Amino acid sequence: MIKIIKVTGESLSPFYLPGDYILICKCFYFSGSLNRGDIVVFTHSSYGLMIKEIDRINFELQQIHVKGSHPLSVDSSKIGPIAITDILGKVVFHFKNPKHAN
Amino acid sequence: MFYKFIQSVDKHLSFPEAKAHCDVPCGIYDPAPAQIDALTVVRMMDLMTELEQGEEKKRLEYHNTLSRYISVKEEHAEKAKHEIRVIWGDYIKDAHIEKHPELSSLVHKIMQLGSTSRQTSNREHGVAFVDAINQFAEIFWATKNIKTKKANAPYAPGLEMIYPDL
Repeated sequence: MIKIIKVTGESLSPFYLPGDYILICKCFYFSGSLNRGDIVVFTHSSYGLMIKEIDRINFELQQIHVKGSHPLSVDSSKIGPIAITDILGKVVFHFKNPKHAN
Repeated sequence: MFYKFIQSVDKHLSFPEAKAHCDVPCGIYDPAPAQIDALTVVRMMDLMTELEQGEEKKRLEYHNTLSRYISVKEEHAEKAKHEIRVIWGDYIKDAHIEKHPELSSLVHKIMQLGSTSRQTSNREHGVAFVDAINQFAEIFWATKNIKTKKANAPYAPGLEMIYPDL
């Protein structure tokens, strides 16, 4: 239900940076609180575990479209829509790497 | 402070990593460039040997040509290593390594042979570099369930290579 995950890559910079830790929770399944702008961790068939921001939610198809905050980030136009069942959790807490404090 | 605590727990438990991909994952991976680069290394070694066995070694032209061969050998050995590193880092997944446990040591061997091929002009090192990259290519195509075939490269140095049998 609750997991700690380490962030790698730059696509959510400057908000989430490599080396940051996040606490994710799958509680949205019960509360239904999955919204545009939420940061989620999901499994992708080709790229493994990924972290992205929800851009759009298609409740009929039970899919989300994702994006990053970095201009060169990969979005759903490249990796396709993500099934809500593939979401491991939504970020509920963010432990920033103090190295990036400045 | 809390970050340091989590970091120390991570060192023991290794939390899963989520990738925030930034490059464009085009999905195009092929060991062929690395194979060609490694062949080029052997070709340069052969040309260096031919030049060394020739005459007029004191001429400026000789030194110029030898320098160019060495430069190309250096460049292509490093390119081959780069190509393998990209496939290793971006394409190969845990499941591939579970199925082909020799992959880790093979990639390490390729890195070392690439360096040795730069450091020396010994053809045996160059041929071993080509062989190791061919082994990597064979495993790479196996991960895609694509059969491979062996054939000699249609150009000098004409070594036996692994090609996808499409």
